[in-house]
Amino acid sequence: MRLHAVEHGHRLPQRLKLLLIRLVSMRRVPDVVKTLFYRPEFFGGPMCDWTQAVMRGPSPWSVGERELFAAFTSRLNQCLF
Amino acid sequence: MENRAGRHAALTKRLVDSVLATPGHTASELRKAILARAARLGGRHGSGGGEARDGVPAPLASYVDKVAVHAYKVTDEDLTALQQAGNSDDVLFEVTVSAALGAALGRLERGLSALRGEASPLDPLSRVRPHPLTPSPSGRGGTQE
Repeated sequence: MRLHAVEHGHRLPQRLKLLLIRLVSMRRVPDVVKTLFYRPEFFGGPMCDWTQAVMRGPSPWSVGERELFAAFTSRLNQCLF
Repeated sequence: MENRAGRHAALTKRLVDSVLATPGHTASELRKAILARAARLGGRHGSGGGEARDGVPAPLASYVDKVAVHAYKVTDEDLTALQQAGNSDDVLFEVTVSAALGAALGRLERGLSALRGEASPLDPLSRVRPHPLTPSPSGRGGTQE
């Protein structure tokens, strides 16, 4: 993570959630999660609502198909999925 | 229920409004200018206008373009240079999110217009060869609404 604030600057509620995730998963929290948890009222909150509706909400596409689209798009963007 | 902004228009609007208007470390006008610039690069239709006077200052503009077109090319040096120029992490966070969201919106709008069968402008990312997502006449891609 290139921005120190987004790596370590979370407020207490998000910091506790990150700690919990780390303890339960026993691995490093992915950067995308840290990004979504940083100032969630600005970006992460509405982004998660959007993602939940698009990726898990009612759709003519199955969840698996949608995940495949996302993985394919990430590949085109040369972005780890 | 399909409209120009797609089935999730309300959630998309809430996300955009939040990124543009939530009090932060950059002016809302700057975030709007960054989002519009990145959306243009992402293929937003009919947003015209030159890039020279779009309200994004030069050092940020090249970073915004990088995030919008090929984010994987962003380097530690890019961020260090912007930080040394006096931009805080929060400023850069807001700039990056605005650029990424703008590019995503440009692509979303372009995709939705393709589903409606509208002619879309040339993809700025695929001047060399056809984009891998270019729909084939027989391919599956549309949704039955």
